[in-house]
Amino acid sequence: MEKNIAIEADNLSFAYNGETVINNISFQVPEGSLTTIIGPNGSGKTTLLKLLIGIIKSQTGSVRIFGKKPREVRAAIGYVPQRFQFDKTFPITVREFFRLTCNTCSADRVDEQLHNFGIQRVLNAMLGELSGGQFQRVLVARAVLHDPKILFFDEPVSGIDVEGEQNFYKLVSHLHKARKLTVVLVSHELHIVPALADQVICINRSLICSGPPAAALTPEVIKKLYGEDITAYQHSCLT
Amino acid sequence: MLDLVELFALPFMRRAFLAGALLGVVLPYLGVFTTLRRMSFFGDGIAHASLAGVAIGIAAGLQPFGTAIVVGVLFGIGIFVLEKKTRLSSDAIIGTIFTSGLALGVVILSFERGYQPELISFLFGNILTIGSSDIAIIGALTLVILGFLIANHRAIALTVFDAETAWLSGVRTSLLEFIFYVILSLAVVLGVKLLGIILVSALLIIPPTTAKLFSRSLRAFIVTSIVLGELAIFLGLVFSFIFDLPSGAAIILTSALIFTAALLLIYLKRLFRGGVHR
Repeated sequence: MEKNIAIEADNLSFAYNGETVINNISFQVPEGSLTTIIGPNGSGKTTLLKLLIGIIKSQTGSVRIFGKKPREVRAAIGYVPQRFQFDKTFPITVREFFRLTCNTCSADRVDEQLHNFGIQRVLNAMLGELSGGQFQRVLVARAVLHDPKILFFDEPVSGIDVEGEQNFYKLVSHLHKARKLTVVLVSHELHIVPALADQVICINRSLICSGPPAAALTPEVIKKLYGEDITAYQHSCLT
Repeated sequence: MLDLVELFALPFMRRAFLAGALLGVVLPYLGVFTTLRRMSFFGDGIAHASLAGVAIGIAAGLQPFGTAIVVGVLFGIGIFVLEKKTRLSSDAIIGTIFTSGLALGVVILSFERGYQPELISFLFGNILTIGSSDIAIIGALTLVILGFLIANHRAIALTVFDAETAWLSGVRTSLLEFIFYVILSLAVVLGVKLLGIILVSALLIIPPTTAKLFSRSLRAFIVTSIVLGELAIFLGLVFSFIFDLPSGAAIILTSALIFTAALLLIYLKRLFRGGVHR
């Protein structure tokens, strides 16, 4: 049976200060899939993700999420940004951080969510005092607090150690399967793609490939993307 | 010994305490968000630029407080627009507006002959110059600002902390940011009669900076900032009356003393406990 389309990007283009960052990109993301967007540094991955979510607007082309404009389905979107930068000395607890994002969520809902993510002990801790791994879990837990249908991650393991990285990808995989979420994950790490993703979208300002990883990530495509011979090894933690 | 009842019996002191009580809530509350956004310089810029408004008021024979409010808000909107529409850094924009407004004020006032007592009051704050009409303006506008802050607390805090998530949560972030710039400009200029153009922004900065030393939650941060702001204003006005000091300087020095005492307290606490809090 053919899957419904969760995201449809049609001829997306975006330029910043006269420089083309995204050039005429089109693709579809099936509902319930886990899609990774890969490409080298500066290839426009983060810009593409922000165009999909609607945080920035494309100069040409359009994005539809479940057939609607992104701003019309904001409640269906969960988002974990690339680098959540804030003043680490700013006094705000994890509980307050959650309540700011979802003021309709009950205290029980927040507690349950933190429990599910194994971080219930940090509820009253200051956000700036969390370890990198704890903070990453808090960001993911917050992103799914309102039960979104699509979850976007932008290079989520930047600055996380290897163990934290492996745990993180297990968490993403679990969320995808257990909650039947459509997941879009931006990464520059090629090694996670084969085991994690159903679909891969490769870009370097324009679309280089799209489709199931085994078919799409040919040596020629990888060379075109990264300019050298690289092999996509399977990540041990996901097997 | 000072008789507080006697102090409150004086109409000008009652007006000063009332204006101070209102500003002591609004400025530190806004200060929590401005410190988070690292835009403390904004308050300084608007206050100094409002001198142009004071000068226009004096030169045109209008109420200088009213013209300062209008000009201050216009400068605030100018900073917002330039930040959004250009690639210039915020501090460069504020620095340009700040000095331009100040220079404009000086040029306009240079055409006025003789001593300008009103100008000195605006520069350093003077409780004697706060009239009933000023109280009405300060009272009405601070209550509007406070109402807006309370009604939109979550949206403002989230926008300041994480604008992308705020947008995804349905907050109209651009509009909210614009209104925030307007009310911040307004609040700063409302404080110039009591605190003076030169010092008003300190009430945005020092109470939240002091409160941050002790606070471990956003709620505690806001409440402590307001309490410390009120304390500085109350004690500062009393000192201003007793020692015949400019009110703005007395309030800000009191606030700085509280900050110093807080630092000392933390140091002593660490010394006796042998640990480090933060």
